[in-house]
Amino acid sequence: MSDSPHSDEQILQAIRDELTRIKVPDAEKATMSTDWRDLDVDSLDLVELVTALEDRFTVKIADGELKEISGVGDAVRLVQRLSDAGAPA
Amino acid sequence: MPPPERPQDRGCALVTGGQRGIGAAVAARLAADGWPVATLARSGGDVQADVRDPGAVRAAFAQVKERFGPVLVLVNNAGVRDDGLALRMSDEAWSAVLDTNLTGAFHCTRQALSSMLSARWGRIVNVSSIVAERGNPGQANYAAAKAGLLGLTRTIAREMARKDITCNAVTPGVIDTEMTAEGVAEALVAAVPAGRVGRPEEVAAAIAFLCSPEAAYVNGATLAVDGALGA
Repeated sequence: MSDSPHSDEQILQAIRDELTRIKVPDAEKATMSTDWRDLDVDSLDLVELVTALEDRFTVKIADGELKEISGVGDAVRLVQRLSDAGAPA
Repeated sequence: MPPPERPQDRGCALVTGGQRGIGAAVAARLAADGWPVATLARSGGDVQADVRDPGAVRAAFAQVKERFGPVLVLVNNAGVRDDGLALRMSDEAWSAVLDTNLTGAFHCTRQALSSMLSARWGRIVNVSSIVAERGNPGQANYAAAKAGLLGLTRTIAREMARKDITCNAVTPGVIDTEMTAEGVAEALVAAVPAGRVGRPEEVAAAIAFLCSPEAAYVNGATLAVDGALGA
C-alpha cells in the first residue's frame, strides 16, 4: 500500500455517504466490487459524486478519468492515486 | 405532522434582466409569491454581471448565495435586440445577441444547477419569444438565439428530470415593454387575435406557475403567452 493520506475504507465510506446524500437507493451497501449499474447510478449522479469527492479529498478528477470509473472500486483507486500524486513527499 | 417546508424558505429566485419590462414584472410576482428575489443586470439590479462573461456570472451567483441564499428558481430573461436584415447584419450584431440571449442563459443555468442539485429542487424558466417558432424578418440573430433557448430548455429538462428540477420556456408574443415600444408596427398588433398587446404581468403569471411546486410534472415545455398570435 502507499503513503496516501486516506485509507481505502475512508474513501469507500465517503462514497457511501455521498451516494446517500445524492439519494441513491442502497448506497450504504456499496462495496469495492459494486458497479454503478448495480446501484442505478446514472451519469448525473456520477458527476455529483465526483464533484463531492474532489472537494472532500482535494483532488481534481479530469473528464477523461471520469469515463474510466465503472464502479465503486475504480473510484476508490482513482482517489487514492490522485491523493498520492498530490501528497507531500 | 409539521407542514411541508416551502421551497421559498430554502433559497431564492434569481431573475436576470430583472430591472425592466418582463423581468421586473417577474421579480415583483415571485416576491408576491413569497420568494426572496434577486435581480441580476449589467448595471443596477441587486447584483451586477454581464451574462456573456462566465467569470462575472460565477461571481454574481456567489454574491446572491451570500445575500439571498442558494438559487432555487432561475428566470433567464436577460436579452438584447440588434435588428437588421440578415443580408447586411454585422458579425458584431449577430454575436452580441447570441452571446447575451443564448450563451448568457447557459452561463446562468450552469451556475444555478449546482445549488438546485444540492437542494434536490429547482425551477428554471427561459424567456424565449414567439419569433423562436415563427421567425421574423430583421431578427435573424434574435430568432436564432430564442430558438436556441428552446433546445437548451428541452435538454436541461431531460438531464435533470429525475432530480425534481424542471426547465421550461415561455414564448411571449407582442408585450408592452420598452423593448417593443420602439418600432412595433401597428400591423403587427393588428395581427394579434386577442386584438391587443400583452402586459408584462401576464407573462409573469405564466412564469410564476412554471416556478411553482404544482408545476413539478411540467418539464421541457414551451408555454405561449401571445394572445393566440402563434396559434
